[in-house]
Amino acid sequence: MVVVPVRHYGRAVAGAAVLLVLLGLVLSVARNENLDFAVVAENMFEPVVLGGVGLTLLLTFISMAVGILIGVIAAIARLSPNPVLRSVSAGYVWFFRGTPVLVQLIFWFNIGIIFPRLGIGIPFTDVTFWSVPINDVITPLNAAILGLGLNSGAYIAEIIRAGILSVSKGQVDAAYALGMSRRLTMRRIVLPQSVPIVIPPLSNEFIGMLKYSALASVIAVQELLGSVENIYSRNLRVLELLIVASIWYLIITTFFTFAQRLLERRFSRGRAMVGAAGGVRA
Amino acid sequence: MTDPTPAAPPPVEPERPFVVEARAVVKRFGSLEVLKGIDLSVQRGQTMVIVGPSGSGKSTFLRCINRLETLNGGYISVEGEIMGYRRQGDRLYELTDAELARQRTRTGMVFQQFNLFGHLTALQNITEAPVRVLGLDREEARARARALLATVGLEHKADSYPAQLSGGQQQRVAIARALAMQPSVMLFDEPTSALDPELVGEVLGAMRSLAQSGMTMIVVTHEMSFARDVGNTLVVMDDGRIIEQGTPAEVLDHPTTERAREFFSRVH
Ligand SMILES: Nc1ncnc2c1ncn2[C@@H]1O[C@H](COP(=O)(O)OP(=O)(O)OP(=O)(O)O)[C@@H](O)[C@H]1O
Ligand SMILES: [Mg+2]
Repeated sequence: MVVVPVRHYGRAVAGAAVLLVLLGLVLSVARNENLDFAVVAENMFEPVVLGGVGLTLLLTFISMAVGILIGVIAAIARLSPNPVLRSVSAGYVWFFRGTPVLVQLIFWFNIGIIFPRLGIGIPFTDVTFWSVPINDVITPLNAAILGLGLNSGAYIAEIIRAGILSVSKGQVDAAYALGMSRRLTMRRIVLPQSVPIVIPPLSNEFIGMLKYSALASVIAVQELLGSVENIYSRNLRVLELLIVASIWYLIITTFFTFAQRLLERRFSRGRAMVGAAGGVRA
Repeated sequence: MTDPTPAAPPPVEPERPFVVEARAVVKRFGSLEVLKGIDLSVQRGQTMVIVGPSGSGKSTFLRCINRLETLNGGYISVEGEIMGYRRQGDRLYELTDAELARQRTRTGMVFQQFNLFGHLTALQNITEAPVRVLGLDREEARARARALLATVGLEHKADSYPAQLSGGQQQRVAIARALAMQPSVMLFDEPTSALDPELVGEVLGAMRSLAQSGMTMIVVTHEMSFARDVGNTLVVMDDGRIIEQGTPAEVLDHPTTERAREFFSRVH
């Protein structure tokens, strides 16, 4: 008996059509007289570009750390019995999720216009013990960190809150019954168990941050996009240099997507605890 | 740490025979009155078994004892101290979270669903609170935890995570975890109800030897043979009230209320 599987003619035709279109696109780019791939290759490892890659990574890591710190605090405040803390946290999330991050970056960059000096003094009086010009503190890089960190903190707060709520009530009851305080219970029992839950969305947030960091170029930070802009404003090879930047972004995001997989695998194994002699350590 | 055992309950005057006393305890969830005036006294070294139909308020009452739930009326005292408050002169001051936490170290609780900390090994589950709350030296806490695991027959499971243990083993670790705080009284909320029938015996066995060692215990259970053999007092709750109280033999063989008779005929 010969078994004849169903033939998917429709699929084959659609696949062929898509491949043809793709091939056409690639050829039109590769054989384009106006694109000079030698320029792309030349600039891939330009010191300015490499510096931009480094600054992009630095900006992303620091902003992410700031975001996680703020996010954890905001999430805990959101779940606290104190109505003032709850409202302030909700208001923070509302504001920073509700306004474009680009607007926030430009705002921090120009903060010196409304607050020329930053200092320590007695509120509601003219007494000042110490102050500096704000533009010494809020450099373009710091403005970018502030803007990206505060913005992602609002998203991360929601991620952490969901993670905290995913830990069962029974865990909290058991900790309280043993005489652990609310704070100790949060720190030792709840937060560690929410780690495997929050890792996938936090990794997405991190990859998003890598790309959002390009916005810092508008406030004169020489990260990856800023550094290629710097070059193409002189040689006018705009597209070639945008290709250089894109290749670098793809390399970095591919690397971190891979790292995310490893991290998730490690923690999902910890949760199932299959043969985990010393498996999870949170 | 210089003082390794700050958890030991303060010296108790010998004339105070009751470890737990509940007076006119009322508890409401919204408009639903779940406890309608509970009066109970548990003597030192005694095992009190509480039974009653589902929804009669047994779990809620246990959770009121260690103040996982706040009361709407009456009071509960453990070792002569009113739970949730500090007495000063003729006033009661509500305790802060940290003070309440400290007060809760006097009561150990074992839950129907075990509630072992999933990210910690059996040994770490047991040492966590003694180290973090009582400030016990880590090595000493470990030694004690191993001894406790041995008394519940699980010394070989010290490094296993909860997910690697059977229900019966998890519940025995949970008992050891509560005992590690050296509480004055142990509260059990249907500790065997979530277990496969063949695992019930090992947990009841551990509880039986604990009772025999002189621990004061309040046990909510449907295991009538445990109530009869191990209990000193049997309490029947129905609809937020105590409807029977006495020695297990008295109550089981000669219930005075129709509701209790009905209940026993269903659980036997
Ligand atoms: N957190 C809560 N919020 C609202 N109602 C509650 C809450 N906890 C318990 N109740 C209600 O209080 C009543 C008593 O519940 P409780 O769990 O104390 O009963 P129980 O005697 O332990 O029953 P079971 O044998 O089923 O465990 C029930 O009607 C229950 O629905
Ligand atoms: Mg119950």
